[in-house]
Amino acid sequence: MRLLRVFLLVLPLLVVPAAKIGAHHAFSPVYDAKRTITVDGVVTQFRFVNPHAMMLMEVKNKAGTVETWNVEFAGRLNLEEAGWNAQTIKAGEHVKVTGNPAWQSSQRMAFVKLVRADGTQLEPGRAQRLSAIEEERRQRAQQRTQPAK
Amino acid sequence: MRLTTVLLAVFAVACSQAPPPPPAARVPSKLEGMWSDPPATAVGTFCFFSCTDAGIERLNALLDDPANDKRPFPQLQAEAAKYQTDNYLRPRMTEAALKTYPLDPADDPGFLRCEPWGLSKQMFAPHQLEVRRVSDDQIDLRYGEWEAVRTVSLDGRAAPAGPPSRLGHSVGRFEGDTLVVETSRVAAGITWWDAQHSDQLRVVERFTRSDDGDTLMLTATIEDPWSLREPVVAKKIWRWAPDQKITPYDACEPATEFKKGTNEP
Repeated sequence: MRLLRVFLLVLPLLVVPAAKIGAHHAFSPVYDAKRTITVDGVVTQFRFVNPHAMMLMEVKNKAGTVETWNVEFAGRLNLEEAGWNAQTIKAGEHVKVTGNPAWQSSQRMAFVKLVRADGTQLEPGRAQRLSAIEEERRQRAQQRTQPAK
Repeated sequence: MRLTTVLLAVFAVACSQAPPPPPAARVPSKLEGMWSDPPATAVGTFCFFSCTDAGIERLNALLDDPANDKRPFPQLQAEAAKYQTDNYLRPRMTEAALKTYPLDPADDPGFLRCEPWGLSKQMFAPHQLEVRRVSDDQIDLRYGEWEAVRTVSLDGRAAPAGPPSRLGHSVGRFEGDTLVVETSRVAAGITWWDAQHSDQLRVVERFTRSDDGDTLMLTATIEDPWSLREPVVAKKIWRWAPDQKITPYDACEPATEFKKGTNEP
């Protein structure tokens, strides 16, 4: 197994919690929505289940020790809406994952974004939804500036 | 005599070949089938769980103000939600309900013990909703979240004896193409805006399909003399989603590591 370099990047970031939109429970007791972290490692398991999909990955820390990280996603009910399935993330894949860190656990996060070894990105369905809303806003702004007929 | 015999024989044959009487009218309603997450519009997303007219009006005002064009949508959504809370929900709540409002999300039984939601949250659950006509007298509302099933009796039968239940007792009727569902005998629980309610909760839901057939609209009037001074009228939107499926909800794990006191103001 490839052991991979880990880097942790802690960024203060004010965001609306991505998982909140489809969660069966509130996001705030478990995750800090104001920070994101990024880890780099190898997927060992992806469970495409309800109420929340889960991924385990092995990450090598600064001391060279391999740690198991737990990444929590929205549920299968939600992810299928965005076209995901049980094979969307495969064991053995080398990935870089960004998420909101857990308050009480140092090796757990809520999924925000995943980048594969080939550079392709995987984002939750919320990203597609927000993109459509931005287009709607552009059209509203355009209509506002057009003279009334 | 012979003629009579022939006529009787013809009559007997005619009777034996007559089509059976039609079953009781069983016309599929326009609501039946699978629905899921709302359209990817600003209002649809604001109403992803539930919303009110006050919140929608505030959101539209924010979107129409050029000063907000550069602000990210989640910010506007949060501002409209706060307006909805402060100007519509809070003023309708009684002192008794305000004492514990907003409830700490870390105390939610669904989070702590994987206990399925009660009616006041379940009826607004995100994701799939299948409307299924089980018989002439019964419609089932089947939700993806928690794999919950609500049975709606169309024959007006009385609630069974016993204590109130998590999802209550629902009776329904059609007014034109609108399905009207009245629910009572709901156990005390938590509303969709994270306030306590009593077992005196009563809800009238009106389900209507849009003219273009693409969306299902719910308007729910919620009453509870213990927690509400006057009714709350809440709305929700689903999108027609015939390819969606309800998948097993079998991997809920009770929370073990969490932080209390993260209630949003």
